[in-house]
Amino acid sequence: MIKVENLTKKYQGVEVLNISELSIPKGQSFGLVGNNGAGKTTFFSLLLDLIRPATGQIHSKGVRIDASEDWKPFTSAFLDESFLIGYLTPEEYFVFIGKLRGQSKSEVIEFIAKFEGFFNDEILGKRKFLRDLSKGNQKKVGLIGALIGNPEVVILDEPFANLDPSTQIRLKQLIKSETQNTHTTFLISSHDLTHVTEACDRIVVLEKGQVINDLQTSTETLKELEKYFSESLED
Amino acid sequence: MQIADFLRLEWQQFTRAAYFQKSLAIKILMGFLVLYFGVTALLIGGLIYFIAEDAAPNVDPLVTVNNLLVIWVALDLLLRYFLQQLPVLNVKPLMAMPVQRTKVVRFVLLRSLSSFFNILPLFLYIPFTVVLLVNDYNPIQTLAWFVGVVSISFSINFTNFLINKNNTLFYALLALITLGVALNYFGVYDPRAFAGGYFYALFDKPYWVVVPLFVMYLLYRSNKSLLLNGFYLDDLVAKKVSLAEDSDFSWLKRFGPVAPFLENDIKLIRRNVRPRQVLLVSFMFLFYGLIFYTQDIYMEMPTILVFASIFVTGGFLMTFGQQVPSWDSQYYKLLMSQNIPYRQYLNAKWMLMVFGVLVSFVLSLPYLYFGWDIYAMIAAGALFNVGLNSFITLIGGALNRTPIVLNEKAKAFSNTSGFNPTQLLIGLPKIFMPMLFFYVPYKLISFDAGLICVALSGVLGLVFRSQFLSLIERIYKRGKHKTIAAFAQES
Repeated sequence: MIKVENLTKKYQGVEVLNISELSIPKGQSFGLVGNNGAGKTTFFSLLLDLIRPATGQIHSKGVRIDASEDWKPFTSAFLDESFLIGYLTPEEYFVFIGKLRGQSKSEVIEFIAKFEGFFNDEILGKRKFLRDLSKGNQKKVGLIGALIGNPEVVILDEPFANLDPSTQIRLKQLIKSETQNTHTTFLISSHDLTHVTEACDRIVVLEKGQVINDLQTSTETLKELEKYFSESLED
Repeated sequence: MQIADFLRLEWQQFTRAAYFQKSLAIKILMGFLVLYFGVTALLIGGLIYFIAEDAAPNVDPLVTVNNLLVIWVALDLLLRYFLQQLPVLNVKPLMAMPVQRTKVVRFVLLRSLSSFFNILPLFLYIPFTVVLLVNDYNPIQTLAWFVGVVSISFSINFTNFLINKNNTLFYALLALITLGVALNYFGVYDPRAFAGGYFYALFDKPYWVVVPLFVMYLLYRSNKSLLLNGFYLDDLVAKKVSLAEDSDFSWLKRFGPVAPFLENDIKLIRRNVRPRQVLLVSFMFLFYGLIFYTQDIYMEMPTILVFASIFVTGGFLMTFGQQVPSWDSQYYKLLMSQNIPYRQYLNAKWMLMVFGVLVSFVLSLPYLYFGWDIYAMIAAGALFNVGLNSFITLIGGALNRTPIVLNEKAKAFSNTSGFNPTQLLIGLPKIFMPMLFFYVPYKLISFDAGLICVALSGVLGLVFRSQFLSLIERIYKRGKHKTIAAFAQES
């Protein structure tokens, strides 16, 4: 689904990302871990053509991301609050996103009705503007918004941060069921090793912009990751 | 924490603000602007004495100026209500610090005095007072008058914060001002002279100066107690939470694929403070013509009148349009990663701008009072606005990469941050093109030919609409990454 070749990104001459080769097959849930400054958000921003690569390229379903916009119809993302429109209510936001993705209002309403439990009665029907919701509730809206319109690639930056424990568990289940049922490819970054190993089939560890580990998730993965991150403390 | 520490924080906030960290060229330009306003105010302050003397040779110029002062006070109050905000939000990080509340509050209030709105009157009053002293007015009396008017100015500062929290007070004041204007208009009573009497009393009987001083102190106290009582996260510092209104936008469906964008833009304007300010400014532009159409000198210079006519219907078009991608800066990443055709995005904004011109044109009907020639001129200007100015403005907007915080009032001077040399260059044709289009055929053929030429230029713009949109689209695409990076920065 996604192929990365010789991808580098520099800021003021300093290299912040360097991925020589990486491919993510369709339907995989791909987890990205790494400390602050490892390049996770940079990588996701490159995947969305929000920043320009210094060298190299990314192909998504054969479309070169920095050369064409044809990846947009099947890609969706929630990176941060700048993906929310503060003066809309959650419903209006979902319908707006839906319209951009070719969905009618009734289709969108039917779709979000499935997530009543996820929203925990705090989001729908309250007529509150997104800017007035709590950080956690804003995040919930952004996450569900990213699922509207049957995207094939969903990119989520730190989806577990700021969520309450029940919603974190729900989100894990949601990611699992979506990858199984609809073969959606998920790209997820996280600082929470437990959640990300549970939600993802594959974990890639970034450090200072380089891929230093690439694991298929197994019962051992969590231990291995914890060992890696505590070792880096001792250096 | 001492006052000096507060001051250092303020200074850092000022010099490190994104809009200040611009290129040298913009700093110089801003410097010139500040200088321009400062010098203009100084000149007015220095010359008004002689102007008053000229206009009413038999009256003491101080009396004439005092009679006009109430207009300035009313204007000042209105301007501040819409533009000046109490800087309370900076207080949040200090709330949990070991600093006494009274100290913070006192600082916030005193700091508000350093606002542009309080410095400008000083630039007017100081030179005027100097002129009075030079003209042998009694120094003690003059000084009392000066202290009096300055404390009135500061009182307005504090009143503004009170009425900003309380709409009833604002409407009461607005009603009072309207009443005054009406009384004056129908010749029942002249509140200017009435107020002027009070202002003159400051000079005549200098001990009266204690009244404005005391009022200022009272207002300061009530602000202080208001702030002290509201020094909690859920009070003053908290933003007001409002609920969405029920509205039906299904009528927009007829606009096809543009509809979702139009719907969003309408919500943008209705639900955010900044765009509402723009609406207000565009409304004021409607009255721009009055400045020119009422002067006999301008009536003989129709080219200048064309300039005014463009502004009568173009207020919304220009104020809204020049910030076009910036309105969406807070969620620009979303738009850029969604499947959005620029064409439809731009089309929606263009339609909104055209709608603004049409509404302004309808509202400008009373200008018929000045005759058909003027009204035809406004109509020709409206066509130019719709057909050409709209696109020029959108091109200028595409080059403007200043983010906008939608739900906060504009700070004084933050508008200048949208200033860049390219935009200035693009702004020039907006003003000079219609004047040129009019001037040449007017001189060669006739007045009517000039108007037809202005109108035709608008029609021509409409013919090439698709080419214009493609051009703007290209600018958007070329600047995409730069724009995203610029909008990601806090303004």
